Amino acid sequence: MATNTDAIVVKKPPLSVRIYKYRYFYLMAVPVIVLLLLFFYWPMLGIRFAFSTYKLKHITSGKGPDYSTGLGNFKALFTDRFFLDSFRNTIALSFWNLVFATVFTVVVALLINELQHEWGKKFVQTVLYLPHFLSWVVVASIFTLLLSAGADATGSDPTTVGFINAVFLKLGLIDKPHSFLTETSTWRPCWYIIQRWKETGWGTIIYLAALSGISPDLYEAAEIDGAGRLKQTWYITLPSLMNTILIVFILNLAKILNVFESVFVLYNDLVLSVSDVVQTYTYRKGIQGNDYGYATAIGLFKSVISLFLVTGADYVAKKIRGYGIV
Amino acid sequence: MKKNLLIRLTGLGLAVITAMGMTACEPKTPEGPGGTASAEYTKPDSIKMTFDTCMTFENGLQDVCDEYKNQTGITLEVEKPDHNKYYEKITLAFASGTPSDAIEMGSTYYPENANNGALWDMTDAWENTTAPAKSVVDPSYVDALKIDIRDGNGPRLYGFPTVAGNGTVTYVRQDWMDQMGIKTPETYDEFIGMLRTFKEKGKPGTIPLTAAGLLNNGETPYDIYLREFYQDAIPDFYQKDDGTWVDGFSEPAMEAALTRLHDAFAEGLIDGEIVTNKTSTCRDKVNAGLVGCFNYWAGMWCAKLEDATTGTDPNAKFTALPIIKEAGHYTERVPTALVITNNCANPVGVFEDLIMYSHDGDKGQMLFTHGVVDKHYTDNGDGTCTALPYYEDPTKLCEKAFYAPELSISTWNDPIALDPRVEESLKVFRENRTFATVPVVSDVISENLANLNVVKGEVVANVLHGNISVEEGMAKYNKDAGKYVEAILADLNG
Repeated sequence: MATNTDAIVVKKPPLSVRIYKYRYFYLMAVPVIVLLLLFFYWPMLGIRFAFSTYKLKHITSGKGPDYSTGLGNFKALFTDRFFLDSFRNTIALSFWNLVFATVFTVVVALLINELQHEWGKKFVQTVLYLPHFLSWVVVASIFTLLLSAGADATGSDPTTVGFINAVFLKLGLIDKPHSFLTETSTWRPCWYIIQRWKETGWGTIIYLAALSGISPDLYEAAEIDGAGRLKQTWYITLPSLMNTILIVFILNLAKILNVFESVFVLYNDLVLSVSDVVQTYTYRKGIQGNDYGYATAIGLFKSVISLFLVTGADYVAKKIRGYGIV
Repeated sequence: MKKNLLIRLTGLGLAVITAMGMTACEPKTPEGPGGTASAEYTKPDSIKMTFDTCMTFENGLQDVCDEYKNQTGITLEVEKPDHNKYYEKITLAFASGTPSDAIEMGSTYYPENANNGALWDMTDAWENTTAPAKSVVDPSYVDALKIDIRDGNGPRLYGFPTVAGNGTVTYVRQDWMDQMGIKTPETYDEFIGMLRTFKEKGKPGTIPLTAAGLLNNGETPYDIYLREFYQDAIPDFYQKDDGTWVDGFSEPAMEAALTRLHDAFAEGLIDGEIVTNKTSTCRDKVNAGLVGCFNYWAGMWCAKLEDATTGTDPNAKFTALPIIKEAGHYTERVPTALVITNNCANPVGVFEDLIMYSHDGDKGQMLFTHGVVDKHYTDNGDGTCTALPYYEDPTKLCEKAFYAPELSISTWNDPIALDPRVEESLKVFRENRTFATVPVVSDVISENLANLNVVKGEVVANVLHGNISVEEGMAKYNKDAGKYVEAILADLNG
């Protein structure tokens, strides 16, 4: 006797039939697939250069890469003081930047969400989003001027000091101008602040979208139960945002080693020990030194680390919350 | 079964792409270096050239290309990347096997690319050419670009000078000197005395001396912006009279130079922002009327700085200082080269019809120097011409199309007279200069130079700021750069 369950089993049509049925969808997907293969997968073939000696000479002579190097580039990598320093700096800068990014973005998104006046909310959002559209070169110029200790190295003539130093001097917080971007103790904090100034507003967009999806019924119920704004945020808003926070965190983790432009335009010889990152080092070796094999080895190493970070974070997320994104 | 077929097809597709990638990623072999000029050569239909220091398209660069086509029948396609990204673009073009036929190339990059076999050897072409340029161009500038890449062929020519290498001179505010009763400094002590007077008697915010970086941003010669302080120190590898190569940065002269830099900086005589300065920020400070002394390019810049500064300080007057006794000389760089790449299909044609034509002492020279008649200059009919305003900024006169007229390497009668201030600054420079030689190049240097320059930059900047003493700086240099220096010297002296 057939049961109800048996009745709802539908036999899957063969693959060719399904492909034919959805042929127009597949057709529409073709450009995307071609682009993916062309611009994402094909370039990956270049990772073979990591196992070779490959310099401009190999290109101009037509000999191509010398694969007898094998793991030579990687051995050189781990004994290269500049690479190891830049790797340490990258991890430190990116880790704290990721922490600050997550915290600040969520907090600012919550604050914007609390704004009741629609015009005021839009104004604040616009002001916060604007820095994202400035190029890093412009941002670096602005902050170099703002943070300048002036042209007088003795600090006795404050005429040319930047705005921040002028304010600090006026308030008596410092007794002589401080060169924030040329001292190792202050370069990193400045970099974190500049990063947050530029990117926090833009980062709030995804959280604001998630916040708009939280059911108002939950807040009404909490209000009836006597929960104030803080308790509503703690018990309703934040738990509802956790999925988004997790996704954004894991996605950002994948980009953790990709710091380049912001450092490149802000670092200098005096702070190299705390600011030189893997990407700036790769730029010097690969572009300026024409050492493509070595630079590719650095890139491959970076990608492998990023892969571990993402899969590791996803694994932890699955263990703690029962789900991840990979 | 169908599923397996799909998997197989996908696998096959990926394999095909992989195979295509394996072959496509490796650029095709160009023709080998070397070339013989011949009186008979094929005229190119078109030439692609990448140039940095030419006029912009907004100011009529395309008009120059069109006029070149009118005169020669050859299409000239010019690519002008952003100045800040110029060498990055060139490097990437070489790496991808797609460089232009001809490229403007500074002396830091020229030997490196010649050594890498990327440039066409034009020695024979220059020796055998019958073009008018042969008798017009000063051969000493051509010889300055001959380099020995140690392939057993001796010094060869891989690029042709566009203009003289030029160099920097120390410009000083003559009006300040007059006001403060300062006589032209002839020694280091007098020079420092002048800076002290600027600091003491100048208005608040005065910067006695500014410069765009401490080591010329890693480009050779490293010491040109601060000749008064480096003096006899050479922060680079150089060859002694007995033929041995040494590292100038490790020598006692460098310690003395670092001491001078540190002392002057600590006294507030050098711009406190020198480490983060760019040339544009320096010029802004000069133009704001704050700077007493600024080492910058001889020639046109004397007039440009003065004209820009009179906007804020109408009395501003700049003078190029003769070099002080201890420094001995300013340095004229190796000329910027116009190279022909090995990817060029018709290098002899490009050499004859582009390079030789542009130095013909006649209409080709005029076109490449001043642009197009009635667009960039007018013909006065009496053998002289007058520059016309730029399209973009009618307040400024056209300075050049490709080649700066004041730095011409040709003996020709330029019908457009130079600004007397430009001539005067060049006169001071030329009376006080020595010629730099092409930077030495080898695989070992290429491999280690980036790291070595980082260490040099760190040491000089930290000693200057007093973060470490001169002795500590030299010790740091020996520790951090020792292995790179050792490897390079072993290679050069090997």
